[in-house]
Amino acid sequence: MGAIEHPPILTIPGVPDQVLYTWVAMLALIVLSFAATRHLALVPRGVQNMMEMVLEQFMALLDDVIGQDGRRFLPLVATLGLFILTANLLGLIPGLMAPTGNLNTTVACALIVFITYHVIGVRKVGLLPYLRHFAGPLLDAELFPNRAVDFAFKLVLVPLYFVIEVVSHLARPLSLALRLFGNMAGGHILLAVMFLLTAGMIGWAFSGSLGAIGLGLPGSLLLIAFTSWFLFPLKLLVALLQAFIFVMLTMVYIAGAVQEVEHH
Amino acid sequence: MRRSLMLTLMTWSVLSVPGLAFAAEGGTGGWVGPFAVIAAGFGMGIASGLCGLAQGRATAGAVDAIARQPGAAARIQTAMIIGLALIESLALYVFVIAAILLFVQPVK
Repeated sequence: MGAIEHPPILTIPGVPDQVLYTWVAMLALIVLSFAATRHLALVPRGVQNMMEMVLEQFMALLDDVIGQDGRRFLPLVATLGLFILTANLLGLIPGLMAPTGNLNTTVACALIVFITYHVIGVRKVGLLPYLRHFAGPLLDAELFPNRAVDFAFKLVLVPLYFVIEVVSHLARPLSLALRLFGNMAGGHILLAVMFLLTAGMIGWAFSGSLGAIGLGLPGSLLLIAFTSWFLFPLKLLVALLQAFIFVMLTMVYIAGAVQEVEHH
Repeated sequence: MRRSLMLTLMTWSVLSVPGLAFAAEGGTGGWVGPFAVIAAGFGMGIASGLCGLAQGRATAGAVDAIARQPGAAARIQTAMIIGLALIESLALYVFVIAAILLFVQPVK
Protein backbone atom coordinates (compact mmCIF):
# COMPACT_ATOMS: atom_id res chain seq x y z
CA MET A 1 0.00 0.00 0.00
CA GLY A 2 2.99 2.25 -0.31
CA ALA A 3 1.90 3.43 -3.75
CA ILE A 4 0.89 6.95 -2.72
CA GLU A 5 1.97 7.43 0.87
CA HIS A 6 5.41 8.56 1.83
CA PRO A 7 7.13 5.94 3.98
CA PRO A 8 7.90 7.07 7.54
CA ILE A 9 11.10 9.04 7.91
CA LEU A 10 12.59 7.09 10.79
CA THR A 11 13.08 3.39 10.03
CA ILE A 12 15.34 0.63 11.26
CA PRO A 13 16.37 -1.85 8.55
CA GLY A 14 15.01 -5.31 9.24
CA VAL A 15 12.27 -4.07 11.56
CA PRO A 16 8.82 -3.59 9.98
CA ASP A 17 7.56 -0.03 10.28
CA GLN A 18 4.43 -0.88 12.23
CA VAL A 19 6.49 -2.80 14.83
CA LEU A 20 8.91 0.11 15.21
CA TYR A 21 6.09 2.61 15.72
CA THR A 22 4.34 0.23 18.10
CA TRP A 23 7.52 0.45 20.15
CA VAL A 24 7.36 4.26 19.94
CA ALA A 25 3.78 4.21 21.23
CA MET A 26 4.78 1.80 24.02
CA LEU A 27 7.70 4.02 24.96
CA ALA A 28 5.47 7.10 25.13
CA LEU A 29 2.99 5.27 27.36
CA ILE A 30 5.72 3.90 29.62
CA VAL A 31 7.25 7.36 30.07
CA LEU A 32 3.81 8.83 30.81
CA SER A 33 2.99 6.13 33.36
CA PHE A 34 6.39 6.49 35.00
CA ALA A 35 6.01 10.26 35.22
CA ALA A 36 2.52 9.87 36.64
CA THR A 37 3.46 7.40 39.39
CA ARG A 38 6.90 8.71 40.37
CA HIS A 39 5.67 11.09 43.07
CA LEU A 40 2.26 9.75 44.01
CA ALA A 41 0.39 12.37 46.00
CA LEU A 42 -3.00 12.37 47.68
CA VAL A 43 -3.77 15.64 45.95
CA PRO A 44 -2.61 14.92 42.40
CA ARG A 45 -0.79 17.49 40.31
CA GLY A 46 0.49 17.61 36.76
CA VAL A 47 0.87 14.30 34.93
CA GLN A 48 -0.64 12.27 37.75
CA ASN A 49 -3.72 14.48 37.66
CA MET A 50 -4.12 14.02 33.92
CA MET A 51 -3.69 10.24 33.99
CA GLU A 52 -6.13 9.95 36.90
CA MET A 53 -8.69 11.93 34.94
CA VAL A 54 -8.26 9.64 31.93
CA LEU A 55 -8.55 6.49 34.02
CA GLU A 56 -11.61 7.87 35.81
CA GLN A 57 -13.26 8.28 32.42
CA PHE A 58 -12.53 4.62 31.66
CA MET A 59 -13.93 3.61 35.07
CA ALA A 60 -17.10 5.63 34.50
CA LEU A 61 -17.58 3.91 31.14
CA LEU A 62 -17.00 0.48 32.69
CA ASP A 63 -19.52 1.19 35.45
CA ASP A 64 -21.97 2.40 32.87
CA VAL A 65 -21.69 -0.49 30.41
CA ILE A 66 -20.73 -3.60 32.39
CA GLY A 67 -22.02 -2.72 35.84
CA GLN A 68 -20.68 -3.39 39.31
CA ASP A 69 -17.91 -5.88 38.61
CA GLY A 70 -16.81 -4.00 35.51
CA ARG A 71 -13.78 -2.46 37.22
CA ARG A 72 -12.03 -5.85 37.17
CA PHE A 73 -11.52 -5.31 33.45
CA LEU A 74 -10.01 -1.84 33.83
CA PRO A 75 -6.41 -3.00 33.10
CA LEU A 76 -7.42 -4.70 29.84
CA VAL A 77 -9.75 -1.99 28.59
CA ALA A 78 -7.61 0.99 29.61
CA THR A 79 -4.44 -0.55 28.18
CA LEU A 80 -6.12 -1.24 24.85
CA GLY A 81 -7.71 2.20 24.78
CA LEU A 82 -4.56 4.12 25.68
CA PHE A 83 -2.43 2.11 23.26
CA ILE A 84 -4.83 2.58 20.36
CA LEU A 85 -5.25 6.28 21.15
CA THR A 86 -1.49 6.85 21.27
CA ALA A 87 -1.00 4.83 18.10
CA ASN A 88 -3.71 6.78 16.27
CA LEU A 89 -2.27 10.11 17.39
CA LEU A 90 1.21 9.08 16.20
CA GLY A 91 -0.17 9.02 12.67
CA LEU A 92 -1.02 12.73 12.89
CA ILE A 93 2.62 13.74 13.29
CA PRO A 94 4.12 14.27 9.83
CA GLY A 95 6.91 11.83 9.10
CA LEU A 96 5.69 9.20 11.55
CA MET A 97 3.12 6.49 10.88
CA ALA A 98 0.18 5.14 12.81
CA PRO A 99 0.79 1.49 13.78
CA THR A 100 -3.00 1.06 13.70
CA GLY A 101 -2.92 1.94 10.00
CA ASN A 102 -1.53 -1.54 9.43
CA LEU A 103 -3.77 -4.58 9.48
CA ASN A 104 -1.35 -6.63 11.62
CA THR A 105 -1.65 -4.35 14.66
CA THR A 106 -5.43 -4.07 14.55
CA VAL A 107 -5.93 -7.81 14.04
CA ALA A 108 -3.71 -8.44 17.06
CA CYS A 109 -5.82 -6.10 19.21
CA ALA A 110 -9.08 -7.57 17.93
CA LEU A 111 -7.92 -11.15 18.56
CA ILE A 112 -6.95 -10.23 22.13
CA VAL A 113 -10.47 -8.89 22.68
CA PHE A 114 -12.09 -11.92 20.98
CA ILE A 115 -10.23 -14.52 23.04
CA THR A 116 -10.51 -12.54 26.28
CA TYR A 117 -14.26 -12.09 26.29
CA HIS A 118 -14.81 -15.77 25.60
CA VAL A 119 -12.41 -16.71 28.39
CA ILE A 120 -14.22 -14.30 30.74
CA GLY A 121 -17.57 -15.83 29.84
CA VAL A 122 -16.34 -19.41 30.27
CA ARG A 123 -14.69 -18.62 33.58
CA LYS A 124 -17.85 -16.98 34.84
CA VAL A 125 -20.25 -19.89 34.23
CA GLY A 126 -18.26 -22.87 32.97
CA LEU A 127 -17.87 -24.23 29.49
CA LEU A 128 -21.16 -26.04 28.90
CA PRO A 129 -23.53 -23.31 30.15
CA TYR A 130 -21.54 -20.81 28.12
CA LEU A 131 -21.92 -22.90 24.99
CA ARG A 132 -25.58 -23.34 25.85
CA HIS A 133 -26.27 -19.64 25.59
CA PHE A 134 -25.09 -19.76 21.99
CA ALA A 135 -28.26 -21.73 21.29
CA GLY A 136 -30.19 -18.66 22.28
CA PRO A 137 -33.45 -18.39 24.15
CA LEU A 138 -34.97 -21.27 22.18
CA LEU A 139 -33.85 -24.01 24.54
CA ASP A 140 -35.86 -22.70 27.48
CA ALA A 141 -38.86 -21.43 25.54
CA GLU A 142 -41.95 -23.52 25.01
CA LEU A 143 -42.75 -23.16 21.34
CA PHE A 144 -45.72 -25.56 21.12
CA PRO A 145 -47.95 -27.18 23.74
CA ASN A 146 -47.46 -30.57 22.10
CA ARG A 147 -44.15 -31.92 23.38
CA ALA A 148 -43.32 -33.99 20.30
CA VAL A 149 -43.88 -31.07 17.93
CA ASP A 150 -41.93 -28.82 20.28
CA PHE A 151 -38.98 -31.22 20.28
CA ALA A 152 -39.04 -31.60 16.49
CA PHE A 153 -39.04 -27.84 15.93
CA LYS A 154 -36.21 -27.34 18.39
CA LEU A 155 -34.22 -30.09 16.68
CA VAL A 156 -34.34 -28.02 13.50
CA LEU A 157 -34.11 -24.50 14.91
CA VAL A 158 -31.46 -24.85 17.61
CA PRO A 159 -28.61 -25.98 15.30
CA LEU A 160 -29.57 -23.19 12.89
CA TYR A 161 -29.51 -20.63 15.68
CA PHE A 162 -26.21 -22.02 16.93
CA VAL A 163 -24.55 -21.65 13.52
CA ILE A 164 -25.85 -18.11 13.07
CA GLU A 165 -24.65 -17.13 16.55
CA VAL A 166 -21.18 -18.60 15.92
CA VAL A 167 -20.87 -16.71 12.64
CA SER A 168 -21.95 -13.46 14.29
CA HIS A 169 -19.33 -13.98 16.99
CA LEU A 170 -16.67 -14.66 14.36
CA ALA A 171 -17.62 -11.45 12.56
CA ARG A 172 -16.88 -9.38 15.66
CA PRO A 173 -13.05 -9.46 15.58
CA LEU A 174 -13.19 -9.04 11.79
CA SER A 175 -15.23 -5.86 12.02
CA LEU A 176 -13.22 -4.56 15.01
CA ALA A 177 -9.94 -4.98 13.14
CA LEU A 178 -11.19 -3.75 9.78
CA ARG A 179 -12.93 -0.69 11.23
CA LEU A 180 -9.83 0.61 12.99
CA PHE A 181 -7.56 -0.27 10.07
CA GLY A 182 -9.90 1.19 7.46
CA ASN A 183 -10.33 4.47 9.28
CA MET A 184 -6.62 4.96 9.87
CA ALA A 185 -5.42 3.80 6.45
CA GLY A 186 -8.23 5.64 4.68
CA GLY A 187 -7.40 8.91 6.42
CA HIS A 188 -3.75 8.41 5.58
CA ILE A 189 -4.44 7.81 1.89
CA LEU A 190 -6.81 10.79 1.80
CA LEU A 191 -4.14 13.08 3.27
CA ALA A 192 -1.54 11.70 0.84
CA VAL A 193 -3.84 12.39 -2.13
CA MET A 194 -4.55 15.90 -0.86
CA PHE A 195 -0.81 16.59 -0.56
CA LEU A 196 -0.26 15.28 -4.09
CA LEU A 197 -3.02 17.56 -5.41
CA THR A 198 -1.62 20.54 -3.50
CA ALA A 199 1.87 19.91 -4.83
CA GLY A 200 0.54 19.67 -8.39
CA MET A 201 -1.46 22.86 -7.95
CA ILE A 202 1.54 24.77 -6.56
CA GLY A 203 3.69 23.50 -9.42
CA TRP A 204 1.04 24.71 -11.87
CA ALA A 205 0.94 28.12 -10.18
CA PHE A 206 4.68 28.53 -10.74
CA SER A 207 4.60 27.28 -14.32
CA GLY A 208 4.77 30.82 -15.70
CA SER A 209 1.62 31.58 -17.65
CA LEU A 210 -0.72 34.25 -16.35
CA GLY A 211 -3.81 32.03 -16.29
CA ALA A 212 -1.99 29.37 -14.30
CA ILE A 213 -0.95 31.94 -11.71
CA GLY A 214 -4.47 33.39 -11.53
CA LEU A 215 -6.10 29.99 -11.03
CA GLY A 216 -3.32 27.98 -9.41
CA LEU A 217 -2.47 30.39 -6.60
CA PRO A 218 -6.00 30.64 -5.12
CA GLY A 219 -6.47 26.95 -5.82
CA SER A 220 -3.38 25.90 -3.91
CA LEU A 221 -4.22 28.27 -1.05
CA LEU A 222 -7.71 26.75 -0.94
CA LEU A 223 -6.32 23.21 -0.86
CA ILE A 224 -3.85 24.08 1.89
CA ALA A 225 -6.58 25.74 3.94
CA PHE A 226 -8.92 22.76 3.41
CA THR A 227 -6.25 20.26 4.42
CA SER A 228 -5.00 22.08 7.49
CA TRP A 229 -8.29 23.47 8.80
CA PHE A 230 -10.70 20.68 7.92
CA LEU A 231 -8.98 17.38 7.13
CA PHE A 232 -6.42 17.53 9.91
CA PRO A 233 -8.96 18.30 12.70
CA LEU A 234 -11.17 15.60 11.14
CA LYS A 235 -8.32 13.08 11.46
CA LEU A 236 -7.82 14.16 15.07
CA LEU A 237 -11.51 13.56 15.74
CA VAL A 238 -11.40 10.18 13.98
CA ALA A 239 -8.34 9.14 16.00
CA LEU A 240 -10.12 9.90 19.29
CA LEU A 241 -13.43 8.45 18.12
CA GLN A 242 -11.98 5.17 16.84
CA ALA A 243 -10.13 4.55 20.10
CA PHE A 244 -13.37 5.27 21.97
CA ILE A 245 -15.38 2.97 19.72
CA PHE A 246 -12.87 0.12 20.03
CA VAL A 247 -12.97 0.41 23.83
CA MET A 248 -16.75 0.77 23.87
CA LEU A 249 -17.31 -2.33 21.72
CA THR A 250 -14.82 -4.29 23.83
CA MET A 251 -16.86 -3.41 26.92
CA VAL A 252 -20.13 -4.27 25.17
CA TYR A 253 -18.76 -7.69 24.17
CA ILE A 254 -17.49 -8.38 27.69
CA ALA A 255 -20.82 -7.26 29.11
CA GLY A 256 -22.56 -9.60 26.68
CA ALA A 257 -20.42 -12.55 27.75
CA VAL A 258 -20.91 -11.79 31.45
CA GLN A 259 -24.55 -10.76 31.57
CA GLU A 260 -26.34 -12.79 28.90
CA VAL A 261 -25.36 -15.91 30.77
CA GLU A 262 -26.66 -14.65 34.08
CA HIS A 263 -30.36 -14.54 33.34
CA HIS A 264 -30.53 -18.06 31.96
CA MET B 1 -36.16 -4.81 -31.43
CA ARG B 2 -33.38 -4.10 -33.85
CA ARG B 3 -32.03 -1.34 -31.62
CA SER B 4 -31.86 -3.59 -28.58
CA LEU B 5 -30.10 -6.23 -30.66
CA MET B 6 -27.57 -3.65 -31.81
CA LEU B 7 -27.09 -2.49 -28.23
CA THR B 8 -26.50 -6.03 -27.04
CA LEU B 9 -24.01 -6.66 -29.82
CA MET B 10 -22.19 -3.42 -29.14
CA THR B 11 -22.00 -4.10 -25.40
CA TRP B 12 -20.78 -7.60 -26.10
CA SER B 13 -18.11 -6.40 -28.49
CA VAL B 14 -16.93 -3.66 -26.13
CA LEU B 15 -16.70 -6.12 -23.26
CA SER B 16 -15.07 -8.90 -25.24
CA VAL B 17 -12.65 -7.07 -27.52
CA PRO B 18 -10.16 -5.99 -24.83
CA GLY B 19 -10.12 -9.55 -23.56
CA LEU B 20 -9.48 -10.88 -27.06
CA ALA B 21 -6.85 -8.28 -27.78
CA PHE B 22 -4.90 -8.98 -24.61
CA ALA B 23 -5.42 -12.72 -24.72
CA ALA B 24 -3.41 -12.70 -27.95
CA GLU B 25 -0.38 -11.32 -26.09
CA GLY B 26 -0.16 -14.39 -23.93
CA GLY B 27 -1.64 -13.14 -20.69
CA THR B 28 0.92 -10.50 -19.71
CA GLY B 29 -1.29 -7.41 -19.46
CA GLY B 30 -4.72 -8.49 -18.27
CA TRP B 31 -7.93 -6.69 -19.06
CA VAL B 32 -9.27 -7.14 -15.52
CA GLY B 33 -7.05 -4.35 -14.18
CA PRO B 34 -8.89 -1.35 -15.69
CA PHE B 35 -12.25 -2.85 -14.78
CA ALA B 36 -10.97 -3.38 -11.23
CA VAL B 37 -10.16 0.34 -10.98
CA ILE B 38 -13.64 1.26 -12.23
CA ALA B 39 -15.22 -1.24 -9.85
CA ALA B 40 -13.22 0.14 -6.92
CA GLY B 41 -14.36 3.68 -7.66
CA PHE B 42 -18.01 2.84 -8.25
CA GLY B 43 -18.16 0.48 -5.28
CA MET B 44 -16.69 3.06 -2.94
CA GLY B 45 -19.11 5.68 -4.27
CA ILE B 46 -22.16 3.49 -3.76
CA ALA B 47 -20.99 2.35 -0.34
CA SER B 48 -20.23 5.84 0.96
CA GLY B 49 -23.46 7.22 -0.43
CA LEU B 50 -25.63 4.60 1.25
CA CYS B 51 -23.52 4.80 4.41
CA GLY B 52 -24.11 8.55 4.46
CA LEU B 53 -27.87 8.03 4.12
CA ALA B 54 -27.89 5.48 6.92
CA GLN B 55 -25.76 7.57 9.24
CA GLY B 56 -27.94 10.58 8.54
CA ARG B 57 -31.04 8.61 9.52
CA ALA B 58 -29.36 7.35 12.69
CA THR B 59 -28.15 10.82 13.66
CA ALA B 60 -31.55 12.35 12.91
CA GLY B 61 -33.19 9.81 15.20
CA ALA B 62 -30.67 10.47 17.95
CA VAL B 63 -31.02 14.25 17.70
CA ASP B 64 -34.79 13.86 17.79
CA ALA B 65 -34.53 11.76 20.92
CA ILE B 66 -32.15 14.21 22.60
CA ALA B 67 -34.49 17.09 21.80
CA ARG B 68 -37.34 15.21 23.46
CA GLN B 69 -35.30 13.99 26.43
CA PRO B 70 -32.31 16.27 27.07
CA GLY B 71 -31.67 14.46 30.34
CA ALA B 72 -30.82 11.22 28.55
CA ALA B 73 -28.43 12.91 26.13
CA ALA B 74 -25.31 11.07 27.35
CA ARG B 75 -26.75 7.58 26.97
CA ILE B 76 -28.36 8.36 23.63
CA GLN B 77 -25.06 9.74 22.38
CA THR B 78 -23.21 6.58 23.39
CA ALA B 79 -25.76 4.36 21.68
CA MET B 80 -25.65 6.58 18.60
CA ILE B 81 -21.86 6.42 18.37
CA ILE B 82 -21.89 2.62 18.62
CA GLY B 83 -24.57 2.47 15.94
CA LEU B 84 -22.64 4.85 13.71
CA ALA B 85 -19.53 2.70 14.12
CA LEU B 86 -21.42 -0.43 13.11
CA ILE B 87 -22.92 1.32 10.07
CA GLU B 88 -19.60 2.81 9.10
CA SER B 89 -17.85 -0.54 9.20
CA LEU B 90 -19.99 -1.68 6.26
CA ALA B 91 -18.59 1.11 4.13
CA LEU B 92 -15.12 0.30 5.42
CA TYR B 93 -15.43 -3.30 4.18
CA VAL B 94 -15.92 -1.84 0.71
CA PHE B 95 -12.99 0.50 1.28
CA VAL B 96 -10.76 -2.47 2.13
CA ILE B 97 -11.96 -4.31 -0.99
CA ALA B 98 -11.32 -1.18 -3.08
CA ALA B 99 -7.85 -0.81 -1.62
CA ILE B 100 -7.15 -4.48 -2.39
CA LEU B 101 -8.37 -3.99 -5.97
CA LEU B 102 -6.24 -0.87 -6.42
CA PHE B 103 -3.02 -1.69 -4.60
CA VAL B 104 -2.74 -5.45 -4.11
CA GLN B 105 -4.40 -6.44 -7.43
CA PRO B 106 -4.97 -10.15 -6.84
CA VAL B 107 -6.28 -10.54 -10.42
CA LYS B 108 -4.28 -8.70 -13.03
